[in-house]
Amino acid sequence: MLAAVTYVPYPSWLNTGDNTWQLVAATFVGLMSLPGLAVLYASIVQKKWAVNVLAMMFAGFSLVLLVWYLYEYKMGFGGTSWGGGVKDGVQTQFGTGKGLSYFFHNFWGKPGPILSSTGEQGQAVSAANTDIPFHFPTSTLAYFQFVFAAITPLLFMGSVLGRIKFSAWCILVPLWSTFVYSVDAFLLWGGGYFAQEGSLDFSGGYVIHMSAGVSGFVAAWVLGPRLLRDRKHALPNNLVMAAVGAGILWLGWNGFNGGDPYYAGTDAAAAVVNTNLATAAGVVTWIAMDAWLSKQKKPTFLGGVNGMICGLVGITPCAGWVDGVGAISVGVICTIIVWVAWNYLSKVRPFSKVDDALGVIYTHGIAGFFGGMLLGLFADPNMIEYGCGRLDANGQVISTAHYATASGSCTPVAANGLFYGGGTHLLWEQFRAAVWVIVWSALVTFILMKLIGLVLGGARYKDEILEIGDVAIHDEEAFPEETLAERVGAFAEAGITPAPAASVPSVSPQEAPPPSGTAGT
Amino acid sequence: MKLVVAVLKPFKLDDVKEGLKNLGVHGLTLSEAQGFGRQRGHTEVYRGAEYEVEFVPKIRVEVLVDDGQVDEVTSTIVEAASTGKIGDGKVWVIPVEEVIRVRTGERGADAL
Repeated sequence: MLAAVTYVPYPSWLNTGDNTWQLVAATFVGLMSLPGLAVLYASIVQKKWAVNVLAMMFAGFSLVLLVWYLYEYKMGFGGTSWGGGVKDGVQTQFGTGKGLSYFFHNFWGKPGPILSSTGEQGQAVSAANTDIPFHFPTSTLAYFQFVFAAITPLLFMGSVLGRIKFSAWCILVPLWSTFVYSVDAFLLWGGGYFAQEGSLDFSGGYVIHMSAGVSGFVAAWVLGPRLLRDRKHALPNNLVMAAVGAGILWLGWNGFNGGDPYYAGTDAAAAVVNTNLATAAGVVTWIAMDAWLSKQKKPTFLGGVNGMICGLVGITPCAGWVDGVGAISVGVICTIIVWVAWNYLSKVRPFSKVDDALGVIYTHGIAGFFGGMLLGLFADPNMIEYGCGRLDANGQVISTAHYATASGSCTPVAANGLFYGGGTHLLWEQFRAAVWVIVWSALVTFILMKLIGLVLGGARYKDEILEIGDVAIHDEEAFPEETLAERVGAFAEAGITPAPAASVPSVSPQEAPPPSGTAGT
Repeated sequence: MKLVVAVLKPFKLDDVKEGLKNLGVHGLTLSEAQGFGRQRGHTEVYRGAEYEVEFVPKIRVEVLVDDGQVDEVTSTIVEAASTGKIGDGKVWVIPVEEVIRVRTGERGADAL
């Protein structure tokens, strides 16, 4: 017989399946940034910019991680808004009526660290989810949300690369994350104003992709274009590595969209499948349009990657709320719209006047906007995110007799779009949230870029540096040639260079001093 | 002694190498090159942007030969590399003042 007290591995509110999937999904999303996006961007820029892209990727990821745990997570997902308190773990709707005070009371979370033992191991609580207690600790939720926060500025690096100062980037990323990302995250996901009004964003069509597209575009505009020579010779340096990065991005998206129900249930599985359906449709659509409608009439691989991203971004706001037909439709429609914009809108002001280096405004900004709007059309109320049933005292499911049907005060959580009898309400809420995210992202990015330019005496490098690229900025090149370089400095002075054969005739390799370890001794 | 330099279509390398081997040529130097001549370049498209590539990939073959062998070496190269289409390349011959084998220090024809 067991003793009255024994060890247990985790608290009873924890569900191992949910916790496992959430951590796996978070890691998948992290891999989308490092190495996925880092490798993709570094290989589709000119060779001379590859190291700069990689350095900005790793620095950006690290900076967001630090600010996220020091204060930012609570600004996006904390239980308390700046405008008021929290009641029974739920964001309360402070203010009366629908006025500005109501908006601003539900605008932004109060900052604070989550580095203490309870911060890391306590049960996750967020005003985002008032229906079912979380089955994992704050560490799991916060890390899952971190990888989304991290990838967003990394996405819009594609707009500003090839001229932004490394220092400017390192200042921009934490500030942008604090003042743009956490606000939109709280408003749409953290239980803030738009969440309460009914705007929906499954995994970040607005908060991440549209915001990244708009911010990148504005930042590129403030920075000015890359060198004319770089724009005339903007060839990728390695399409094979581009395929590696793009492939990691696609499959990593299984965690991106599959993790957002927060429970390893049917909707997680459906979101994964829908993500892949939309993406496959996007790839095929773009390649077909290239082959039949482009000037050259050739199917291009990088076009396929663009279509892939259009599908992924388009389905992101919809993933668990549309059915498979909806998913394919979203993938095809978003890709057609972005293809047309890429080839024709790009010739019209302001698009023709802003050097958005990798075209983030199209594949992320425009695809994100239309993905969010299409949710208002294609959301299927029979796609249940959370059903009705009974939980035990620990918050675990014990009965699902009414999983798909309303029971008592419970109606299954799902979204209802225009094509499925939901009317235009969702479409309207999607539109309002989209306008907000566009305006806020553009405005704050503009102010931040101007401020950084003032502080640093310009946010872009001088032309002499831009002409050289990686070697001028980092003293590194992406594919160094060993035979052309020889080590100098402390290494040579440490007496490691072989002595002349005449004075020491019989030094065998084993007796030779170790190479780098003793440098400087 | 002469240096025979040939700039040719890359896919003709095997034929040229076999022809020279059969002649008893002991060595050659090969480098990849980009050529610009009467042959037209091509277009590449990356992410919807069109780029004109005016240079065409070529191989540059260099063979050191004794004066008496020049004619058969050049005609072998021309024969092996010819397709009859534009862009087949060129062969030219340059006089060489001295040749030294690095390993032995031999000079002149002995070094070939």
